Amino acid sequence: MASISASEKLLASSRLISQGAEAKVYKGSLTAAGGVPVLFKHRFKKQYRHPTLDATLTKARVAGEARALLRCLRSGVNVPGVRMVDAAEGLLGIEWIDGSSVKRLLPSGAQDGEEDQGGVADDHNPLDTFPVSVVGLMRLIGVEIAKMHLADIIHGDLTTSNMMLRPSSSSDTQPDLVLIDFGLSYHSTLVEDKAVDLYVLERAFASTHPDSEPMFASVLEAYGAKMGKEWPALRRRLDDVRLRGRKRSMVG
Amino acid sequence: MPALLLPSNPLRNPEHPLLALGIEGSANKLGAGIIKHAPDGSSTVLSNVRHTYITPPGEGFQPRDTALHHRKWAFKVVHDALSSAGISLSDLDCICYTKGPGMGAPLQSVALVARTLCLLYDKPLVAVNHCVGHIEMGREITGAKNPVVLYVSGGNTQVIAYSRQCYRIFGETLDIAVGNCLDRFARVLNLSNNPSPGFNIEQKAKNGKRLVSLPYATKGMDVSLSGILTAIEAYTQDKRFRPDGLPKFTEDQDIITPADLCFSLQETVFSMLVEITERAMAHIGSKEVLIVGGVGCNERLQDMMGIMARERGGQVFATDERFCIDNGIMIAQAGLLSYRMGMTIPLTKSTCTQRFRTDEVHVSWRA
Repeated sequence: MASISASEKLLASSRLISQGAEAKVYKGSLTAAGGVPVLFKHRFKKQYRHPTLDATLTKARVAGEARALLRCLRSGVNVPGVRMVDAAEGLLGIEWIDGSSVKRLLPSGAQDGEEDQGGVADDHNPLDTFPVSVVGLMRLIGVEIAKMHLADIIHGDLTTSNMMLRPSSSSDTQPDLVLIDFGLSYHSTLVEDKAVDLYVLERAFASTHPDSEPMFASVLEAYGAKMGKEWPALRRRLDDVRLRGRKRSMVG
Repeated sequence: MPALLLPSNPLRNPEHPLLALGIEGSANKLGAGIIKHAPDGSSTVLSNVRHTYITPPGEGFQPRDTALHHRKWAFKVVHDALSSAGISLSDLDCICYTKGPGMGAPLQSVALVARTLCLLYDKPLVAVNHCVGHIEMGREITGAKNPVVLYVSGGNTQVIAYSRQCYRIFGETLDIAVGNCLDRFARVLNLSNNPSPGFNIEQKAKNGKRLVSLPYATKGMDVSLSGILTAIEAYTQDKRFRPDGLPKFTEDQDIITPADLCFSLQETVFSMLVEITERAMAHIGSKEVLIVGGVGCNERLQDMMGIMARERGGQVFATDERFCIDNGIMIAQAGLLSYRMGMTIPLTKSTCTQRFRTDEVHVSWRA
C-alpha cells in the first residue's frame, strides 16, 4: 500500500525534539504548519520486542494514557489536554506545555554533563527564574500528586523528569506544576498502588538528586495534607513498601 | 589548583606491578583468578579458573551441599589458578574474597579459605561486594566508560548507574531474580543443569515459535517476575501442552511445546529488562549499556539490548561466559582497585554477609 496514514502525515510535518524512555516526541500541529503547537508522542515499533507483544503493549499503553489524562483533566489535575489518539499507530497528540522539567530545576548528582547542554556554571540556580522556592516546588509536587491520587489515577512512573513547571500568566502568582507522561498509568483505588507510586518517586529522588531526603519529606507533607483522612493508612503502607526492596540491611 | 569541571581520577598508577588473587563462591560457582595491574595502568588476566556445582535435572543447589562442594574443590581451584598464572602465593600483593551478597554457607567456606591464605602468607585481605565485582570486571573487559549497567543473574536483577562514588540502583526486581525465574522453570521442564539451566532454556527457545500470553509487569524502573513464573508454570498444565513437543495426531495443530514456553518466557522477561534499562538510559541521558551477570551471556538478551541501544544511537557492551558467569577474576579486579585505594580489612573484620546491597559500597577508585 503506497498511501500513508493520516498519523504518518502528521509526524512527517512535525519536528523530532527528543527520544524519551519509550517514545519519540515531536512538536507539530494538527492544522497547517504554524498552528497551535501540539506535542506528538509516537510509540514507534520496538524492533527488539516480539511483534505481537509490541502491538498489544503499544495499543494498550496509548489508549490507557489517553484515558488517564482525560480522567485527570476532569478532576482538575494539571496535565496536558488530549488533542488526538491513534492507538493502532501508537500516536498520541497532547497539549504543548511551555515550561521546564523539574529535573533540571533541582541539583543533580550527574557527573558528566553530556546531556546538560545548558552547561552554565554551577552557581546559577535555574529555579531562580520562577517565583517559587525549592520547598515551595516540593509542596506543588505533593499537592498535584495528591489530586491525581484522589482521582484514583496511579501514574506508574513518577520521576522528576515527568514533571514540568509552567510559569503562570501573571508574574506574582505561583507557577503550575504539570504532571506529564502517563504512559504507565492506570486506574486504581488501592492504597497499595498509591503507596508504590510514592515509593517510585522517592527512589527516583534518591537516585537523581543526592541528599534529597528533606526535599522528599516536604513533598510527603504537602501530599498528606491534601489527601486528608486517606493519608494515615497510606503512610503506613508506604513504610511497608520501603521494606520490600531486596537485600536491604536487616538492622533496625 | 586549577578548578576543573571534571574531578580528577583518584586512582594513581601503581609504582610496580601489583598481583591480586580473587576467590568467589557466593553461589554454586567456585572461582579463583589472578589479575595484574601494571605501572602503565593496564590490567592483565593471568588466570581464571572455575568449578561449578551441578545438581541433577529438576533440582536446585542447597546451601549446605554447595558449601561442601566449595570446600572440596577450594584447594584445587586456587592451586590451578596459581599454576596457570605461573606465580606462587608469596608473589601476591593482596587476597580478595567475596563478602556478599550470596548464600551464607558457601560464602563462609570461601571466606575461610581467604583468611587461611592471608594468615599463612601474611598478605592483606580485601573484602569485595559481588555485584561491584561484576560491574568492575565488565568495565575492564569492554572498556565502557560510564554505562548504565544491567546486572542480571540467579540472585540479582538490577539496573545500576554510577553517581558520586556509588553504584546507584535505579531499578531492580521486586521479588525473584531473572536467573532464578529461568532456572526454576528449567527445573519444571526437567532440563539439565549442565552447563547451566539458563543456557539450556536459551537453546530450547531457539525452536520456539508460538508466543503465549504472559503477564508483563514493569513498575516504573522495577520489574516483578514471580507472577510470570507462576503463569508459565500453569501452561505446563494446559491441555494444549505437549511435554514431548510433538502433536498427538496430524490434525493436532493447536499445541504448546516446551520450546514455545522457553521462547515466550525469554521474550517477555527480556523485553521487560530491556524496557527498564531503556527507561534508566532515558532518565540519566546515557548512551552506553553494559550487561553483566550470568544471564548476561544469553545471546537473545544481548541482541535485544543491542537493537534497543542502536535505536537510541548508543551501543551495548557485553562479555562472554568467562566473565559474565560468577568468577574469581572479577573479585580480584574489584579487590585490587580497593587495595590501591588502601581499603584493606583486618582479620577480625573479615566477615561475610548474605545481604550486601550494591549501593552500600564506597566506590573510592572512581572520580
